Amino acid sequence: MTQPKSDVLQGTLDLMVLKTLDTLGAMHGYGIAQRIQQISGNLLQLNQWTLYPALLRLEQRGWITAKWGTSENNRRAKFYSLTRAGRKQLEREAADWMRIVEVMARVLSPGEVM
Amino acid sequence: MSALKEWFTRLLGTFRRPATDLDDELAFHREMLVEKLRAEGRSLEESRRLAAIQLGGATQIQEAYRDQRNLPFLETLMQDVRYGVRVLRRSPGFTTAAVLTLALGIGANTAIFTIVDAVLLRPLPFSEPDRLVTVGDREPDGTSSNVGYVTLAEWRERSRTFAALTLMRSWQPTLFVNGEAERLAAVRVSWNYFDMMQVRPALGRTFTPDEDKPDRWRVVMLSDALWRRRFGADPSIVGRTIVMNDREYRVVGVLPPTFQPLDAAKFYTAAEIWAPLGYDAAFRDACRGCRHLRAFGRLKPGVSLEQATAEMNALREQQRRENPNEYEDGSIAVVPLQRAITGDVRTALFVLLAAVAFVLLIACANVANLLIARSLVRQREIVLRTVLGAARSRIVRQLMTESAILSVAGAVLGVVLAAFTVRVLAGVAPVSLPRLEEAAVDGRVLAFAALLTAVCALLFGIAPAFRSGRTGAQQALAIDSRTSTGGASRARSFLVVADLALALVLLAGAGLMLRTVSQLTKANPGFNPSHVLTLQFSLVGKVYAEDPAVVAFQDQFVQRVRALPGVESVALAGQIPFGGNYDCRGFHARGFMKANTIDDPCIETYGVTPDYLRVMGIHLRGGRFFDERDTASGQQVLVVSETTAREVWGGANPIGTEVRIGSADEGPWRTVVGVVADAHHADVTTPVSASLYMPQTQFTESYLVAVVKTATSDPASLAPPVRAVIRELDPATPVFGIATLESLVADAGAQHVFVMQLLSGFAAVAVLLASIGLYGVVSYTVAQRTREVGIRVALGAKRADVVRLVLSRGAGLVVVGLGAGLVAALLATRFLGSLVFGVSPEDPITFTTAVGVLTVVALGAHLIPVRRALRVDPATALRQE
Repeated sequence: MTQPKSDVLQGTLDLMVLKTLDTLGAMHGYGIAQRIQQISGNLLQLNQWTLYPALLRLEQRGWITAKWGTSENNRRAKFYSLTRAGRKQLEREAADWMRIVEVMARVLSPGEVM
Repeated sequence: MSALKEWFTRLLGTFRRPATDLDDELAFHREMLVEKLRAEGRSLEESRRLAAIQLGGATQIQEAYRDQRNLPFLETLMQDVRYGVRVLRRSPGFTTAAVLTLALGIGANTAIFTIVDAVLLRPLPFSEPDRLVTVGDREPDGTSSNVGYVTLAEWRERSRTFAALTLMRSWQPTLFVNGEAERLAAVRVSWNYFDMMQVRPALGRTFTPDEDKPDRWRVVMLSDALWRRRFGADPSIVGRTIVMNDREYRVVGVLPPTFQPLDAAKFYTAAEIWAPLGYDAAFRDACRGCRHLRAFGRLKPGVSLEQATAEMNALREQQRRENPNEYEDGSIAVVPLQRAITGDVRTALFVLLAAVAFVLLIACANVANLLIARSLVRQREIVLRTVLGAARSRIVRQLMTESAILSVAGAVLGVVLAAFTVRVLAGVAPVSLPRLEEAAVDGRVLAFAALLTAVCALLFGIAPAFRSGRTGAQQALAIDSRTSTGGASRARSFLVVADLALALVLLAGAGLMLRTVSQLTKANPGFNPSHVLTLQFSLVGKVYAEDPAVVAFQDQFVQRVRALPGVESVALAGQIPFGGNYDCRGFHARGFMKANTIDDPCIETYGVTPDYLRVMGIHLRGGRFFDERDTASGQQVLVVSETTAREVWGGANPIGTEVRIGSADEGPWRTVVGVVADAHHADVTTPVSASLYMPQTQFTESYLVAVVKTATSDPASLAPPVRAVIRELDPATPVFGIATLESLVADAGAQHVFVMQLLSGFAAVAVLLASIGLYGVVSYTVAQRTREVGIRVALGAKRADVVRLVLSRGAGLVVVGLGAGLVAALLATRFLGSLVFGVSPEDPITFTTAVGVLTVVALGAHLIPVRRALRVDPATALRQE
């Protein structure tokens, strides 16, 4: 715990979930949570329960679908996968995000004058 | 899109049973976490603890999940509704009273709105109806008058603001099919009339310009109804000829069933057959002064009424310069067709709409009153909820929900009530309400009812809700029925004052209308309508082409009807008072003509047989009336009314002087032989107009009204024998318009009676509601002051003192309420305008009576509370607390 962990930014959780499902294919809630935590290099304090309302929201918006299946250790688990609309949404949001990052980087970089 | 999809899924989620999926999912998540932690070498207990921390609290998850699953506010709303319904069901007395009051208010409003909407608001069922207008010289009341053919022909050439201009005239054809005669409701119109209305025929075609000429115009279009009724919906009717008035007419088209002849119905008759006008500039009746045609126009797109009026006024000025003897000083009125058709009834309907709005306000005030009374009773419940942690907003919302439930229940009942009422009203309403038969509860009306409901719920719900929501916990725990009611009592007093004031306005309005109707029945029309039968027939066809044939028929008819048992006297006339016709003719008295004879008066003309005065009971004032001396070839004679004598001769005796009727330059000079009393022509509310009489022998008309005075029996019972006489004389002459003269007179006042009846009904409801409200407040005060009354009685107060104590509470309210009502009523009744007749809108008798009635009712509302107070037993009262 050398560095303070930041909370998940409002709205970014959706994007992270979409990206994770894009990378991993169908995955259950636990797997998604582990993956996000692992990728973020433990910099992120994910309250894992917040994942479930988010998953429901994404499902309600038609970006992911859910199906019950069997997990890697033979247990019943709900698997989420990206829909076509979800993939489009991911592309759009990722592009937006990159643009914001780019702008913020420019604004914050010490050498350049606007 | 996706947001909408989410919202919709959540809406569905609100009503679906919650799934148990999440539990399984979380269980799986937890197990996996525990397994992972154990694999890292922790104890089972430690792993479970850490897993619980990482995953978060189960309840928290469930709640967050549920909020995402459905719509939380809707969930709360449903809870509130369920709770509200339960609460309301627990006090059926209150709920019934509130719902019934609201149903009355909303029902009355919905019913009247349904009628106003159908008659006034809904656009006419024509294409782009707001561009349709009537045009003509401006009458004093803002309407447009008839025009002459040549005048309009010039307008057509010169106007740039009109896309089309057409003419319409009356027409009374008698149709013969298989020897059976029927008089048809008909008009004649310019060839471009149907083009202007943008109506496509269902069969055939409309008229051509070529058919709109003298001797070419005998072609007709049929209404769908006539086509079905008389021609068996025969599709091959187009091109066939039909026989009317002994002449052949070719059918060129059949109109669609959707076409409603509202314009014809307003100015002439609800036509079912149309023929071209068939005039040209040289035609005898085409002259500029021959103003017997109704002009309609369609404005070009984007042209305003003002622009059209300005242009037409300029054209009129130009015409007047060119023909100074043909046009008097005046101006043009371009009136939207909708307004022209509904003009007479606008005031009446808007007055009724305002009246029902008052009823609704009273209903809302009463329900608010009930709610406040209840909120006092419910204070403990509300306090308990506040103490247990309910937010104030939540309590306000709960109470508002209850108001909404009451409103909705009241509205549902009210709309049912309205649907029923509209049917009844459509039955009793005077015929002058156009399109009333279309009035029905539909989407627009339901939307109106919904709006009313929302307004109601807000009006009566908001004050009590906020009052209750304001109750602080600590104030509430110290609750005592006597200490916390100051504000409530003030609010209730205000509502009762408002109730009384509004009720007084309605009562005064109803009173004025009652007086108006009584004045109408008392007013002397100038003739005696009792025991007189009227019926109409037309002598048409080749047989009656010459006047002597018509006169011979008339003589025969009069002789035979006079011989019928029960007949006292009989006469024939070209038109009769209250018959709905107008026939004024230029009146040029020798020596009394104006410099420009166009400025000579136009006087209502009656061609009559000798017994007309006796049948109608019109008094002879001087000289003589007509008799057998007045033959066609004898001296041409004339009788005038007193008003005519005064207006034309200025008090000098006109008998023996000479007059030309119609044209100042041609026709016989007729000698005035008598003066008769005035008779109202159209209705008694307009000032009596000048009239003149000529004998049928010298002024012969084919369209006739028979008037038959009966000795004692019911005049209507004479209709069959009189018809039989006509059938004997000529079986091909159809009889129509059978009515008693009394019913014609009554019809003229029908609109006043209609408004009077409805206003009286509304006023009765208002007075009832106001007295209930007053009763509620007074009896509540008495209940509260039982102890005080007890103490006073114990200390020796007399019964009179107790009565005074109770009355003093209500009397103040009544005085303030009636005072406010009096001021409001004085301001409001002037809007009755022309609906009031024979009585001033500030009529002191009406206002005194209204105040008196309300005072008595208000005293009545005190009766029960006073009796209750008198029965107070000091011992019980003192023990009560």
